[in-house]
Amino acid sequence: MTEPTVVGFICDWSVDLKPLTEGGHLRELPHVRIIRVPCSGFVRPSWLEETLTRGAAGVFVTGCPYGDCLNREGNFLMRDRIEQLQRRLQRRRVDPARLGMLAFGLHDGPGFLAQVKAFVERIASLPAPAPARGGRPTVAQPAAASEGDAS
Amino acid sequence: MSTATTDQATGRYARSMTALLRGTLRLDVWINRVYPTDFNPLYYTGGLSNLFLLTLVLSGIFLFFYYEASLGSAFASIQYLTERVPYGGVIRGVHRYAADGFIVGILLHLFRNWFTDRYLFARDNPWISGMFLLLFAGFVGVTGYQLVWDERAQLLTTLVVAMLYSIPAAGQGLVHLLLGGVGVSDTTLVRLLYLHIGPASALYVFLWWHYLRLRHPKIWPPGVWTLFCVGLVFLLAGVIPVTQDAIPPSAPAARPTQFPMDVFFMLPFWLMNILPAGGVVALLVLLFVGGLAIPYLSRRETPAQMEVRHAGVAQVVDGNCTGCELCYYDCPYNAIVMVPSPGPGLTKAAANRTLLAVVIESRCVECGICIGACPFEALELPKLMERDVLNQVNLAMQT
Repeated sequence: MTEPTVVGFICDWSVDLKPLTEGGHLRELPHVRIIRVPCSGFVRPSWLEETLTRGAAGVFVTGCPYGDCLNREGNFLMRDRIEQLQRRLQRRRVDPARLGMLAFGLHDGPGFLAQVKAFVERIASLPAPAPARGGRPTVAQPAAASEGDAS
Repeated sequence: MSTATTDQATGRYARSMTALLRGTLRLDVWINRVYPTDFNPLYYTGGLSNLFLLTLVLSGIFLFFYYEASLGSAFASIQYLTERVPYGGVIRGVHRYAADGFIVGILLHLFRNWFTDRYLFARDNPWISGMFLLLFAGFVGVTGYQLVWDERAQLLTTLVVAMLYSIPAAGQGLVHLLLGGVGVSDTTLVRLLYLHIGPASALYVFLWWHYLRLRHPKIWPPGVWTLFCVGLVFLLAGVIPVTQDAIPPSAPAARPTQFPMDVFFMLPFWLMNILPAGGVVALLVLLFVGGLAIPYLSRRETPAQMEVRHAGVAQVVDGNCTGCELCYYDCPYNAIVMVPSPGPGLTKAAANRTLLAVVIESRCVECGICIGACPFEALELPKLMERDVLNQVNLAMQT
């Protein structure tokens, strides 16, 4: 398997994953691993950062269509948080294209797959792979994380 | 009823609700192909109703200044308003069509939130206040038709009185209260005017209750939809004037037996063709009580059967909370309140805190949005903790 791993955090209420997945990854794109979350807004930006640090080539979050979040605001909040994280990581020379926010409804499986494919292709065309550092980075500790957020 | 039949009935209900949910979301996919998702009108049914309500209030204030609440001059004052006052007829039409739009908006809002499960568990508060909003809106609509005091109003009043009489024990008293005496008199119209404006004002009290547990409620549709709806109402008022039915004024001798229908407000009165008055009253009461009971009785299945994750109410990790209020601003249900901190936290960032976040359990829907908001690891869902997620990330990276 030469293709680099991509991790997706997917809201329970958005795309129906039953026909698309097989043992924790997408059937059509086996290098895209899936983690289910109760709402896209549940995802803490530091986890996305952590996933990249542990060697993932890219990470994306999927929520309901904008305006139709079951919990009213989760996907808007997540979109903003991902934009912030992209700006923050750009200063550390991580390409913003490695982070993505998608929004698809329960029955929009084909559209979802198409956009994931586009996301993966975009990452594959990026020049340098994400710098993989071993171990838990210092930024994940609470005090340091606060400085990261304030900056 | 045996348990088996109950299960069967619940199963049928659950299946039909699932089908309705699928239908609603399919419709969304189609609409989203035409509009960007931020402009899907079905995402703004509540805001659209609110827009129509404001239109109603503004046009209603205008109409109020010309209305005379007495048997002899009520119809004449409305005729004067429609024919002599500049744009009076248009404003009257706006008031009529905005009311129809209001009811349509409320019903769409009700069905959409019903079919997409947005009333379950801790979210019963907007649902209950919404049922009261619907009840009051219907009542205000009927009294509005009575105020015109033409033959339709006369017949409507007769039907309302018949419905009230059919209520056991209290009926007679209620009729006396409504008419202000044993029969229709000038007092009746004064009471009707109050029963039109009083409950309409009460709608705003219920709206306050409706929004009470929602942070950043979407109270207004996007600008283009505001323009479109206001324009549509004015266009309808101009193209189909409300006077086109030409209903004669009410006269004591007249015995009207039929009137032009308004499907949005007159449905109960149409039902009186086939049901006795008492039956219609019982049906309305049943619908209202059933509506109130929906969040409590209609849980289709257990959360496990619905394959809903039961993550547990969010818990604040006292030692890590810095009192930064980020979760408080992001919680969509106002379930997090900030209280004065009883003491310093354990971490360096939390050492100088003045506030502490507290989760109100009865309002929490276990969505986890506060977890994403917290950069200090001070909130956790008990059954899906941060270390579980990071374990899953590890697992995904290994395989």
